[in-house]
Amino acid sequence: MESSNQLIAGIGLAGTARKSRWPARLDFIQSGTGLVLALFMWGHMFFVSTILISNDAMWTITKFFEGYFFFGKSYPIMVSFVVATVITLLVVHAFLAVRKFPINYRQFTTFHGHMKMMRHEDTTLWFWQALTGFALFFVAAPHVYIMLTHPELIGPFESGDRVWTGHYWPLYILLLLAVELHGGIGLYRLAVKWDWFAGPDPAATRKRLKTLKWALTVFFLALGFATLAAYVKIGIAHAPDYGKPYVPAALQAAPQGVNK
Amino acid sequence: MSDANSKIIPIAKAGNGGDGGSAAHRQLKISVLRYNPQEPSQPPRMQTYPLEEADGMTLFIALNEIREKQDPSLQFDFVCRAGICGSCAMVINGRPTLACRTLTKSLGAEFTLAPLPFFELIGDLSVNTGKWMRGMSERLGGWLHMKEPNPDLRRAEQKMDPDLADKIYELDRCVECGCCVAACGTARMRKDFVGAVGLNRVARFRLDPRDARTDDDYYEVIGDDDGVFGCMSLLACHDVCPKDLPLATQIAFVRRKMVSLGWS
Amino acid sequence: MKIIYTDVLVIGGGLAGLRVAIGAKRRGHDVVILSLVPPKRSHSAAAQGGMQASLANVIKGQGDTEDIHFEDTVRGSDWGADQKVVRMFVNTAPKAVRELAAWGLPWSRVRRGDRTVIINGQKVTITERDEAHGLVAQRDFGGTKKWRTCYVSDGTGHAMLQTVSDQAIGAQIPVHERTEAIALIHDAGRCYGAIVRNLITGELVAYVAKATCVASGGAGRIYRVTTNAVICEGIGSALALETGIARLGNMEAIQFHPTGIFPAGILVTEGCRGDGGLLKDVDGHRFMPDYEPEKKELASRDVVSRRMEEHIAKGKGAKSRFGDHIWLDITLLGEQHIRHNLREVFEICHYFMGVDPTKDWIPVRPAQHYTMGGVRTNHTGESPDLKGLFAAGEAACWDMHGFNRLGGNSVAETVVAGMIVGEFIADYCDRLDNEVDIPTSLVHDFLKREQGKLDTLVDGRGTEDASAIKAEMQDLMTAKVGIFRRGEDLQAAVDELQRLLVRSRNIGLREKARGANPELVTAYRVQKMLKVALCVAYGALVRTESRGAHFRQDFPRRNDAEWLKRTLASWKGEETLPSLAWEALDVGTMELPPGWRGYGAKDYVDHPDTPGRAADVDAVKAKMADASRFDVQEALMPYDELLPEPLRGRNERIDEPMDKTCESGK
Repeated sequence: MESSNQLIAGIGLAGTARKSRWPARLDFIQSGTGLVLALFMWGHMFFVSTILISNDAMWTITKFFEGYFFFGKSYPIMVSFVVATVITLLVVHAFLAVRKFPINYRQFTTFHGHMKMMRHEDTTLWFWQALTGFALFFVAAPHVYIMLTHPELIGPFESGDRVWTGHYWPLYILLLLAVELHGGIGLYRLAVKWDWFAGPDPAATRKRLKTLKWALTVFFLALGFATLAAYVKIGIAHAPDYGKPYVPAALQAAPQGVNK
Repeated sequence: MSDANSKIIPIAKAGNGGDGGSAAHRQLKISVLRYNPQEPSQPPRMQTYPLEEADGMTLFIALNEIREKQDPSLQFDFVCRAGICGSCAMVINGRPTLACRTLTKSLGAEFTLAPLPFFELIGDLSVNTGKWMRGMSERLGGWLHMKEPNPDLRRAEQKMDPDLADKIYELDRCVECGCCVAACGTARMRKDFVGAVGLNRVARFRLDPRDARTDDDYYEVIGDDDGVFGCMSLLACHDVCPKDLPLATQIAFVRRKMVSLGWS
Repeated sequence: MKIIYTDVLVIGGGLAGLRVAIGAKRRGHDVVILSLVPPKRSHSAAAQGGMQASLANVIKGQGDTEDIHFEDTVRGSDWGADQKVVRMFVNTAPKAVRELAAWGLPWSRVRRGDRTVIINGQKVTITERDEAHGLVAQRDFGGTKKWRTCYVSDGTGHAMLQTVSDQAIGAQIPVHERTEAIALIHDAGRCYGAIVRNLITGELVAYVAKATCVASGGAGRIYRVTTNAVICEGIGSALALETGIARLGNMEAIQFHPTGIFPAGILVTEGCRGDGGLLKDVDGHRFMPDYEPEKKELASRDVVSRRMEEHIAKGKGAKSRFGDHIWLDITLLGEQHIRHNLREVFEICHYFMGVDPTKDWIPVRPAQHYTMGGVRTNHTGESPDLKGLFAAGEAACWDMHGFNRLGGNSVAETVVAGMIVGEFIADYCDRLDNEVDIPTSLVHDFLKREQGKLDTLVDGRGTEDASAIKAEMQDLMTAKVGIFRRGEDLQAAVDELQRLLVRSRNIGLREKARGANPELVTAYRVQKMLKVALCVAYGALVRTESRGAHFRQDFPRRNDAEWLKRTLASWKGEETLPSLAWEALDVGTMELPPGWRGYGAKDYVDHPDTPGRAADVDAVKAKMADASRFDVQEALMPYDELLPEPLRGRNERIDEPMDKTCESGK
């Protein structure tokens, strides 16, 4: 039985009796992973931007996620766990989304020519969404990998060192642009794709969504660049002490217990 | 409003190519993308026709004047010339729309006309939308599948909620002009994509209680990447639809219904 | 030589052709439809207002029956219609509405309770019955005693065409799009199909069929100012005419629609007036009640059009740089109504004129609208002259419209005739002696002949410009064969059209392509159109009376004594005029003997048989005072056996329930 099913599928007749339900699931999963990733990205941005408040604030958030305030001790492995989840989501999302990309040069030129001719905003935005998504394959990879393998290297000095002395800042500029554009466009597209917030006047809703989308993108880019600048500044200042972790002033009297 | 004299004003804007009005008319330069697949030796090229604008001139009038006075070989399609049959869709300054109801005064003095992409080109501005639409309809089962194939015609018709009838008509207003498909980036890349026109058809029959089909049946025809899951929500279909059909909400609705079958 | 064989060849993919095809296909016959354009683009789509059928669902239609629909239609026709055909039609129309409902047409439905409507310029509240809720709704239309016009918003024709075309796809009926029949194949008094040109490749193909049905619509484009689509050039009628055998009936009966947008001629629906819109002159004065106190704006189209032109002639038209016109005021219907029930009107005003009809008046003037005449057929839809040639819809003179068609009766005719003629065509194809029995050499001869004509046009040394000739013809028809007709104008038109016909034999082309070539198409079509135009003009010249839409200023009275007859035109070879003959209508069998229409001119000359027949009818009615309306009708003019068997039977209504009406009646 099993082998005959396999043969039927092998010949390409599996879908003739009843269409597979997988495309429905995949469509949902693509949107779902995108939504979770976009929301994660926003939260992530808020967390790292606490550096703009103070080094201590950023340190506190970091330790919070390492469980320090629950267990009285840091478990960076918890971060690795989160990162592993994000990587999984990224891989699944990328795997599904890549189906929509132009798969050959002919499709690429057709779409590009079409976009140039139409000058239609949502069509053009898709091109950028696809392009930034493609870029994320590469620029997100080093970041998530280092977070997975060195979760303890998060902190005001640790991050500052990575950004500056570790030469991550060019990568982070690209990553920031790609993530914010991709996520912002993606969330807008999710809203129209699934007709969220349609209300009685879908046209007005869409207009508002578009405005909101651009406002959020600008906001997060501004926040992101300010945050990056803050880490760069810290990184330059901390360069001579590269590698030394940050310890809040309040804890410097009793440094034992932290980072053990 | 009921002052009759004030009524003289709108007609001054009206008209259809007459020679009335002595005000200086613009000299239009109309660039047309020309190519006849039957004469492949002549590559695609732009040809520019000068034309004096007239009051209330539509592209229907302009193109016919060009064909009669300047170039008898120019191919294009018009039928109703009143914006209701969907024959004359073409790309005007980069956007697909109905030519017959496009007034030249709504365009600059120089503008470009091109055939709808995606569809088989017959020649110049004429494309074979009908052939594709028929194929789409055959593929989707784009007709009402009757629950009772031989109703007794002497008996009163089945009742239907008046609002539901209006809703169905709203989706039935599609004129199959092809603008939505020509404007669709997905369809341009993947020629088997069913397009907004097809998904709208499904939404229409789904809505109709007289149709015998269930969501499972519709899933069989649009439950893949050539169907509703292929749609990338670029929404150009919605934005160019000359009949202002609610394509964005309808496609989203169909998508939700079809996705919900993924776990049933 | 390419030959395609089929049982039934339908020329035209509009409502009539599609419905004929479905009927024949259901009976097991192979059908091929030829269509100049994709079928859903046919001119049927332009019918906005609705389709008459006496369903009597709305309260203002209560009491409506086939009898009243019959009388309205016959009066509308100015007694030019074939009354038996009208009976077949009115009895089938409700069935057609119900069939379309079953096929998925989203008819606008009755909503129970109060609603405000505009009647005679006044807001009136009417209350719809509970039991009518959800049934097909009707609206008011010109020339009708009851609200009888079933509708789908103001896109009735569009929605009908979608539905019927979809069903044709479902029935797997092939439509050969962008093909054009250019000649009928016939031999020894029988039609065997057509020679067909592919408009994309230019290739000629012979389609050989047992039965051929012309369903190509009207001939509006022989006029310059017309509501008709550009494909309505009367070519189907011309094909029949050019056989020299089949004849065209009543071609002089041309309808002018009162509300063509001025000056483009684009139609705004009669529904505008049906729903309460008013006609106003330069002073903003509502003038129709002055002329037609009974029906006002809602007299029949011929009458309203003439009154509008009469009023303009008195200097009361509004002025514009394009000439004078009348205002159509629908502002009183309210924005909600206009944007929902008259949406196409709103769009047309918006896009073509920049006018907002919820606030502004619409400039209108009568424009050519409908060809009552066409290929003369008997009640089965078959030509009495050329066996195997059928016609349906506007292309036919089946003759349910006589000299004026009522609004809402044209889309109704398309599907009703489609149902009826489709059955008769299937009967025809069922008979073994109607098998195709011609040699292919004959088909070849026809192909060669038609190819020769095209070659002459492409390669010949002609000097005339096809589109110039066409424009001259259109101007001539609009100027001289319009709403008001006079002998001298008509004579001038006939003379000039004959000259144009001669010139058209010397057309030369600038564009020599044999494939897609718009100039070549214009050339061979204008030769045919001129013949149709001559049938119209010459028929109008000879008919020295006024009847329905045919109005002679020099003969303003209807003259039943001399002209209660149908004009039949045929064409012989290279003649420049049609040969006319006449077919008398039999007053002695009429259910409704000639009289006053209830609107329009009151004086007419009676037919000598009219008083006698009227007395007979009255006597029968008096004697059967207690009998059912069905029995009275049966006694006056039996017609039931004329209908195809599956389409017989009474129609259920709220006030005529099924058991009482249909079961006991059969």
